[in-house]
Amino acid sequence: MKIIVCCKIVPNEEEIRVLPDRSLDLSATPWKISQYDLNALESGRQLAAETKGSVTALSVGGPSALDSTKIRKDVLSRGADDLKLVIDDSHSFSDSLETAKALAGALKNCGAFDVVLCGMGSSDLYLQETGIQTGALLGLPSINNVTAIRPAGEGLLEVERTLEEEVETLEVTLPAVLSVSSEINVPSVPAMREIMRAGKKPVAVLDDLGALDGASLEMLEQLAPEQQERRQEVIEGDGDEAVEALAQFLKKECL
Amino acid sequence: MLNQTVFVISDDTAALSELCAGAKSLATRVTAIVFGGQDTAESAASCGADAIRYCPVSEEGAPEDYASAIAAVVKKENQAFVMLHNSIRGRCLAGRIGVLLDTPVLTSVSAVAEEGGALVCRRMVYGGTAQRSERFAKPYGVATISGGAFEPGPALPTTTDIAQLEGAPEGGIRRISRAEKKEGGVNLVAAKRIVDVGRGLAAEEDLALCRELAGVLGAEVGCSRPVAENNKWLPKSSYMGITGVQVKPDVILTLGVSGQVQHIGGINKSRVIVAINKDKAAPIFKSCDFGLVGDLYKIVPALIKKLS
Ligand SMILES: Cc1cc2nc3c(=O)[nH]c(=O)nc-3n(C[C@H](O)[C@H](O)[C@H](O)COP(=O)(O)OP(=O)(O)OC[C@H]3O[C@@H](n4cnc5c(N)ncnc54)[C@H](O)[C@@H]3O)c2cc1C
Ligand SMILES: Cc1cc2nc3c(=O)[nH]c(=O)nc-3n(C[C@H](O)[C@H](O)[C@H](O)COP(=O)(O)OP(=O)(O)OC[C@H]3O[C@@H](n4cnc5c(N)ncnc54)[C@H](O)[C@@H]3O)c2cc1C
Repeated sequence: MKIIVCCKIVPNEEEIRVLPDRSLDLSATPWKISQYDLNALESGRQLAAETKGSVTALSVGGPSALDSTKIRKDVLSRGADDLKLVIDDSHSFSDSLETAKALAGALKNCGAFDVVLCGMGSSDLYLQETGIQTGALLGLPSINNVTAIRPAGEGLLEVERTLEEEVETLEVTLPAVLSVSSEINVPSVPAMREIMRAGKKPVAVLDDLGALDGASLEMLEQLAPEQQERRQEVIEGDGDEAVEALAQFLKKECL
Repeated sequence: MLNQTVFVISDDTAALSELCAGAKSLATRVTAIVFGGQDTAESAASCGADAIRYCPVSEEGAPEDYASAIAAVVKKENQAFVMLHNSIRGRCLAGRIGVLLDTPVLTSVSAVAEEGGALVCRRMVYGGTAQRSERFAKPYGVATISGGAFEPGPALPTTTDIAQLEGAPEGGIRRISRAEKKEGGVNLVAAKRIVDVGRGLAAEEDLALCRELAGVLGAEVGCSRPVAENNKWLPKSSYMGITGVQVKPDVILTLGVSGQVQHIGGINKSRVIVAINKDKAAPIFKSCDFGLVGDLYKIVPALIKKLS
């Protein structure tokens, strides 16, 4: 089975600087693989092992994110056999549809595939829509919140989808686009051997996107929420004295 | 108030009234779209919409199959805003409708307001590091709205404009089976005291220790997202954070929680935050009022003794 996993490279949200006027400074924020795309990569790895298939990772983004050898190796050490990139900084990609159009376009340049796996939602914007919109643009079946994937014979997958109140088991005709839930698996930590091999795996840069319509959302404001002051009385130690101080604090404050 | 139609779509009729009340405050006409037969539509007649259209989903079918029929109805308006319930099905339907209307989708929107003749949506980005306000630059906008975004409105007159949605369902994915999910849950939103369990807990059995502490404190037990989702030790309705429950107790005691921004976003309205974590550098200590750097397995049993 030929599997394509879509991975977004995002700014590490733990290292975004909030300025005194509550605006954000991302200029020194390092990039990382979007957290829940690690689950999609893991699903791809497992499905490829079960079906003797292959995994191609696909990412669309600007050069600052995708030119990094470190990021490329990180993706390739997590089960992907090769990496395809669309590097483009002439578009701002500020909405789900524009990103989906870019991914759909790139997928058309990837040759035949059986299944496209997306993460549940990106660490930065978490719209949880890119997979659905990409599938809809390509006219392929697309499903969100997939919690299990099982091969079900030629050209078919059996998929479990967990909704708020029920669990559905669905039969999906391939090719299809599946967004996997973050609860589908626990991503494995890459072994040293995989990290060594990653540097030798092929990376292909696909054609850029050409003219797209442009974003259809206008950002008006982006501000960090007001911070609540916290006392931060921190004691180092777990001995009797420390626990006594905690018990006194709890009694005084809230009991 | 905008002179246009807002479509309100929900796979859960319980969410309709709040969405319709919100829609009514934004625009002159509100059409609700519900899933089920005429009886479903009639039982929702006083939800606040001017008109109700129902999609008679069959036993094998799903609401998502109505994306193209709904998009066709929306397109009869030159300009419209489509608001959906922020459920998993709602987001799936929203994405498909968005493609058919050639517009992006905003999800988990926490507020919508009319500003200068346009509808402005607010949502959290970067794990809760910031709030972003955006507006659609196209004639159609599609958004899924989180619970609590609008005040439920006053009781509204019942509508008699009820009809089946034009158009047929399309492109169904075959459903082999469906099963109800059996997960209990606690009401953390109303809790005054919460013990917040993180991945620092080594084994499921050790929840007993956390429950014992909660018992002594008169607290409920909640957790971080991976404890519920990956370890599956507590129901998903127990995890707190920007994508989980947002709580505001008098005191929350975190045990082995690192304090990532996404989790803090759910607990930072607590009056007092207490942290126990063995890593001095854990970010939770920047967000707490009182903290102990130490092993929860030493601290918690000793604390139970002192407090009981
Ligand atoms: C070149 C570039 C520049 C950008 N610049 C900006 C900017 O200036 N301001 C801004 O706010 N946003 C920017 N973005 C982000 C963009 O707006 C989002 O990717 C888009 O809105 C999709 O929403 P999301 O990130 O919430 O994805 P979700 O819908 O939450 O993502 C779901 C899944 O889709 C897949 N996916 C999503 N995006 C990609 C991708 N790019 N490549 C591969 N797979 C993907 C992943 O599997 C992911 O888990 C940029 C993106 C790119 C590629
Ligand atoms: C888009 C997105 C949305 C998310 N939404 C949420 C959300 O809503 N809610 C949420 O919780 N998370 C959310 N997350 C996940 C979040 O990023 C973190 O991964 C998660 O909160 C970490 O949980 P944790 O603190 O329990 O685990 P960890 O980060 O693994 O921390 C465990 C901590 O336990 C400490 N510890 C270990 N052993 C002991 C011991 N014996 N005694 C004391 N301390 C010990 C360690 O020092 C460590 O700090 C989201 C992530 C993404 C990408």
